[in-house]
Amino acid sequence: MSTPALSDVKVLDFMWVMAGPAATRVLADYGATVVRVESTRRIDTARTLAPYRAGVLGPENSGCFQNLNTGKRMVTLDPTRETGREVVLDLVRWADVVTESFAPGTMRRWGLDYETLRAVKPDVVMLSTSLMGQTGPLATFAGYGNLAAAISGFSNLGGWPDRPPAGPFSAYTDYVSPRFIAASILAALDHRRRTGEGQAIDLSQAEASLHFLAPAILDYTVNGRVAGRIGNRDPDHAPHGVYPAAGTDRWVAIAVTTDAEWRALRDAMDRPDLAANATLEGAAGRCAQADALDEAVAGWTASRDAHDVEAILQSRGVPAHVVQDSHDLVRDPQLLHRRHFVQLRHPTDGTSPVEGSRFVLSRTPAEIGGSVPTFGRDNEDVLRSILGYDDDRITALVAAGALE
Amino acid sequence: MLGSYRVLDLTDHRGLLCGQMLADLGADVIQVEPPDGSAARRLGPFAGDVRHPERSLFWWSYARGKRGLTLDLAQPRGRDLLLRLVSRADFVIESGRPGDLAALGLAHDTLAATNPRVVTVSISAFGQDGPKASWAESDIMLLAAGGPLFLQGDDDRAPVRLPVPQAYLHASAEAAVAALVAHHERERSGRGQHVDVSAQQAIALATQSYILCEAVGAPQVRRSAGGLKHGALTLRMLFPAKDGFVAVTFLFGSAIGQFSRRLMHWIHAEGGCDLATRDKDWLAYTELLVSGREPLAEFERVKEVVAEFTRARTKAELLAAAVERDLLIAPVATIDELVASQQLHARDYWRTIPHPALGRDVRYPGPFAKFGRTPIGSTRRAPAVGEHTRELLQGELGLDDRTIAQLARDGVV
Repeated sequence: MSTPALSDVKVLDFMWVMAGPAATRVLADYGATVVRVESTRRIDTARTLAPYRAGVLGPENSGCFQNLNTGKRMVTLDPTRETGREVVLDLVRWADVVTESFAPGTMRRWGLDYETLRAVKPDVVMLSTSLMGQTGPLATFAGYGNLAAAISGFSNLGGWPDRPPAGPFSAYTDYVSPRFIAASILAALDHRRRTGEGQAIDLSQAEASLHFLAPAILDYTVNGRVAGRIGNRDPDHAPHGVYPAAGTDRWVAIAVTTDAEWRALRDAMDRPDLAANATLEGAAGRCAQADALDEAVAGWTASRDAHDVEAILQSRGVPAHVVQDSHDLVRDPQLLHRRHFVQLRHPTDGTSPVEGSRFVLSRTPAEIGGSVPTFGRDNEDVLRSILGYDDDRITALVAAGALE
Repeated sequence: MLGSYRVLDLTDHRGLLCGQMLADLGADVIQVEPPDGSAARRLGPFAGDVRHPERSLFWWSYARGKRGLTLDLAQPRGRDLLLRLVSRADFVIESGRPGDLAALGLAHDTLAATNPRVVTVSISAFGQDGPKASWAESDIMLLAAGGPLFLQGDDDRAPVRLPVPQAYLHASAEAAVAALVAHHERERSGRGQHVDVSAQQAIALATQSYILCEAVGAPQVRRSAGGLKHGALTLRMLFPAKDGFVAVTFLFGSAIGQFSRRLMHWIHAEGGCDLATRDKDWLAYTELLVSGREPLAEFERVKEVVAEFTRARTKAELLAAAVERDLLIAPVATIDELVASQQLHARDYWRTIPHPALGRDVRYPGPFAKFGRTPIGSTRRAPAVGEHTRELLQGELGLDDRTIAQLARDGVV
């Protein structure tokens, strides 16, 4: 077994809910020691999010929380108590990186701002992430990724021109920004390795996520055009969309992006009349007749099984895929081949599935496993083996309520 | 920050953002294009709506910060020049179909034989291997394959994607992280490796773990216009405003329920609901709905109370109240409102880059993070086709004018 890529990286992680934990999950996958601090009193919102194991609500049952925190050392700690704060400062002395995603100002109120951390650990890298950033009139506007998705322009763009916005699904910036968070941490660590310098990083999830809208933003700053909702239309290609298949709420996404793909689709649908129509040669002609083409494609797909449509079109080289729900996804031969689903040990009840890494490193692959991340699972281990505390100290911390 | 590292970026529209993130972090990124220019230059929108390879706003968006070199990798001399550049590169990024690079004799093993330290990053639809690795692909079919598409859109119509293609942006951003993980390891071991990023797996992150519903034994959820449906229970997140729409995290439980309680108190104080509505147990409300103790029809009425309330107020009024009262409400901003945002202005977010050919400056999205000691600095506009070819061939490889002219005549550069 190779030494994991990040085996020498030590992270003290106060990030909670979704965006932050998704970033440190990747570091843990590749061998970083991530000590994830949470409170038993102010429960991580992710613990109150579905899907729940066997559909049963409960903070130790959230598949969302387990998926985001796999591989981390789970510690419960109350930094608002002086005894708890002392433990935090000991962990800061141990850590290379400290991360937090509270409402801006919270760490300062607890006496754990960057200046304080730097005083005990001069080369610490501290990353703070929030919806809108640590400064500015909306700095204290705290909330979840669905709000950042709205305020940064994503929500208005998803949906149909004749309907109110439908947005991307849920807390979209929570799934865009983790990559920027993780990349920022790794780049700052590289700088620290070469120079010995730590630093504070202020990452606004809204600002980072705007890079996923850059072409629409430039369309406005260059052309003055304000993008709107266009359903599944593509400005350059037709037919392009999501078409009904046999069954309830079954769909296939199909995109014709070349003339060759158009001919292949036309032949698959057995529509010589479309073949005879010269105005459909060339993307511009097809885009001009997108409505009629959508109708023709939907007429062909509607009575067919979604997987059959996908197979017929893929065999002819047309981009097509079943719109997968979780029933399809857990059986997807590609995801299974890539080992996308991994089972964690559950303390009382068999196993619990989470996702694997989204990429493969050829020489130092991710190592994902262990047990479900439950409250305080690693309190003893972290306090003893990382901080070297003895029984008396730990007993005193428990008595003082510092580990809650 | 990464100023001492060199990146050779061979990607097309499927991978440009990866190199750009590394460029923003300070790396020297050389964008390698075929002699007739990158396929990404054919993607709109276009400046002035003029279809031209130098006017693609997609290209401007994601080739920003890089230098441009044209090279025909199918010609032996083009391949040799690339390998000479690889010998002094730290990262090579590519987004061809699996096997494309190997067919050119440029697989990771070949690159590593030239430079054992090189980290080669491959971005592809489904990953380098597996039953779907060679499938025909596009943005919308990857969103379907990875799971989020099923959850997006109105419940009575087909699932719907965003008009700005997202799947390969997720893959490219994931690839930047993956490259830096491999880099960290290389600095310790002295050896590079191959990084294989799957867009399908990257985009699955946007399902908010609902990809696991069946695997964990929970019911399948369905889309509902930004909210979602758990069986008959419909959660709503988008509401009308006087001048558009707002997002409201109208959810419950021990954490979010506190916010919903404050919202209902405000609505009551403004005469928008009665006491009994205000004083429902918002922390336990999900359990009440799931158990049937609270009828779903009553929940429908409550959502309409909230909608009536927000409909009578502007987005700005609702945001101001959210800040003042600690509520989970945000305006659904249009792009012009986004660009006018006081918050982004106060943080000096936007970057202005001169575009001499356009005769003016253009405003771009700014630094993705504020680094206290090593701020993300100024950036260069995306290169014109072959803009830095001469500079790079002379400066990096020491070729003379005559050799470069010959390469140009032969269509190598």
